[in-house]
Amino acid sequence: MGNSSSSSRPHDESVDFGQLVPQGVYTGPRDWNQSITAQLIIARRLAPFYRPLEDYEESWDDDQILAARKALSDSETEQLPPPPPPTNKKRSGSLKEPSRPEAAVYRHAVECPICFLYYPPNINHSRCCDQAICTECFVQIKRNEPTATHLVSEPAACPYCVQENFGVVYTPPPWRAGIASEGGGSPWSDSPRGSSPSIDTPYPTHKRRQKSFGADSAEVVLTDHIRPDWEAKLAAVRAAVQRRANRRIIMRQVGDRLIPVGVTSGRVHALTPEEAAQAEAASTEGSGSRRSRRRQQQPQNGNFEQFMGMGGAELEELMIMEAMRLSLIEHEEQQRKEAEQKKKAETAVANNDSGASTSSVTASSSAPQPSPSTLSVSQPTSSRSRSPSPNPLQVLKDTASGWRRRTSSPPPVTLSAALSAVSTASAVLNSTEIETSNSTPATPTIIERNTIESEQTTAPITNPIVPVSSPTITDTSDAATALEPQPTIAPYSESVPVIEIPDRPVPSHQDSMLSAISMASSTGETYDNLPSSPESDSSVDREPLLTPPAAATPKNVLTNAPITAEGYFGDASAAAE
Amino acid sequence: MASISSRRLQKELTEIHMEGCPVGITLVKADDFETWWFTIEVMGESVYRSEVYTLQFRFEPNYPISAPAVTFVVTDGRKAPLHPHVYSNGHICASILGNEWSPVLSVVSVCITLQSMLASCKKKEPPVDNDRYVRTAPDNPKKTRFVYHDDTV
Repeated sequence: MGNSSSSSRPHDESVDFGQLVPQGVYTGPRDWNQSITAQLIIARRLAPFYRPLEDYEESWDDDQILAARKALSDSETEQLPPPPPPTNKKRSGSLKEPSRPEAAVYRHAVECPICFLYYPPNINHSRCCDQAICTECFVQIKRNEPTATHLVSEPAACPYCVQENFGVVYTPPPWRAGIASEGGGSPWSDSPRGSSPSIDTPYPTHKRRQKSFGADSAEVVLTDHIRPDWEAKLAAVRAAVQRRANRRIIMRQVGDRLIPVGVTSGRVHALTPEEAAQAEAASTEGSGSRRSRRRQQQPQNGNFEQFMGMGGAELEELMIMEAMRLSLIEHEEQQRKEAEQKKKAETAVANNDSGASTSSVTASSSAPQPSPSTLSVSQPTSSRSRSPSPNPLQVLKDTASGWRRRTSSPPPVTLSAALSAVSTASAVLNSTEIETSNSTPATPTIIERNTIESEQTTAPITNPIVPVSSPTITDTSDAATALEPQPTIAPYSESVPVIEIPDRPVPSHQDSMLSAISMASSTGETYDNLPSSPESDSSVDREPLLTPPAAATPKNVLTNAPITAEGYFGDASAAAE
Repeated sequence: MASISSRRLQKELTEIHMEGCPVGITLVKADDFETWWFTIEVMGESVYRSEVYTLQFRFEPNYPISAPAVTFVVTDGRKAPLHPHVYSNGHICASILGNEWSPVLSVVSVCITLQSMLASCKKKEPPVDNDRYVRTAPDNPKKTRFVYHDDTV
């Protein structure tokens, strides 16, 4: 015994000849907080876990008492601490009969009314009606687990008098042994009154209390104290129910039909009915020009509250979505304004001092090379400029719109949305190959790199990128002619150069998307894929997610602006206007 | 050390053997610590005069922390009493068998409670929702969430 308080392994330790861990009376899961319980035992606010006696007679001697200490089942015995070692303190010789304190503690043992086993008289008593209850039984009593159909958690009631908020009060023996016995000395050899658990100094019989303790009394240990997680559990069940209730089906409008394309996870907060109605109205509102629709929706953009609680990763995802959305808009605007773009492109080419780079861009169109490998060079550009109708970007749009509808609960990127984004990348890839196949004279090495890059970066395709001279492109003279047929390509195909890649934020975005995907699938935050619906141009939502286009820094698409996140938003809006 | 339920039930059984059951209650079988049967009969004047019913207790391993599943036996010619809280499949709608169970209660105390539930009944009639409940009831009444509508009977 003695100096035991310093030990780091509490379950090797005893408190007043009892243990800090249960002795196997109950075999179910130990779902209470064991460390709190142990602390309460050490603090003498809860009786230690004594090995119970199967039976008890006042006439028993030590041997009988120790023999009655229940043998634990084999499997349990191994994991349980050994009984407190016999104290061979110096005074032992002089003692009268019950020399073994570990037996003496059981003198005047008390039967626990619940498990019907006998414990040392220093047993817990219910705070309300002063009934004995052993610690083994006390830790079993808990609130009913909340369920989805029963969303309340009432405090456990006293098993004896059914009063709410069951709690116990413990009166420790007048002596101490084991952990936190003062001074570390043997309690009986040193203590003045010979206050050892011996027959001489019997544990004072429990006097019936006149008053009950309030649930908030300092002496009381409530069932909630050793299960402090009950609130979290309740909150978790409630949140799950809430989530289920918040789940929304994502519909896409095709003509005048609504086709379900997925189910939201219902995570953060769902659209309020008003919001939903608003969004619906906005998205279905007439078939006016996209621009006008956008303008109408701009007021909503001022509201950033929905993003307040977002973590960086979520925000990042949102930004990428926004980038994609803007790129779509930009793409469309560009198609309409092809003529203007042409001019601008020409000027840009003219202004561009990087020389080689300008020319390199255009080279592609002039030198038709059907080989599939060549395409990749122009990919980033082509996604923008590509006017032909089988438009892979539509996929992107749809994805973006799907996201948009869930703006109020953005963080969980829905699985299908994310997947479709990924597939979009490949779609873009494929389509661009076809369209641009005749335009790029790039060398094989470049092609390879570009392919990689384009796979990584779906969203940023649209970024205006500073023309960079690419050594591989030789045909400068063709630049001008190349611009004619596909004017927009020119500035952008320059963006391909591998050199630029590190500076672009995109790859990390891509990562976050991927991680979002795996997160969604692993957490069971289900995003159920519904059969995909046919393409529709009309129904796509176009409200910006983050930046109101007007607020973005306008930039000429063709300028050599450094590429930043703002860069693309700004560019996109500029292009759109 | 045996499980808490068998140890406690062993003690309850010992006590029953030593002190006997209350009047009108008889232990039929307690061959193991999973299922016990008792007969109960309402003593004195009652609508169930001289009718004997059989009660079955089924115990989970963490009895008495969890309540026993108590039903009237309705097989082999045995019937459940006609009572507003007793369904014809033998299930009993009694709060002490559900959310008001306390580990301080025992097999005998449950018997006494049910006996007095019958004794205080003034009119033999089935629960209003008997047919609907019996059609869909789970085998174990503990899986039912009863609404304890009437404290008077």
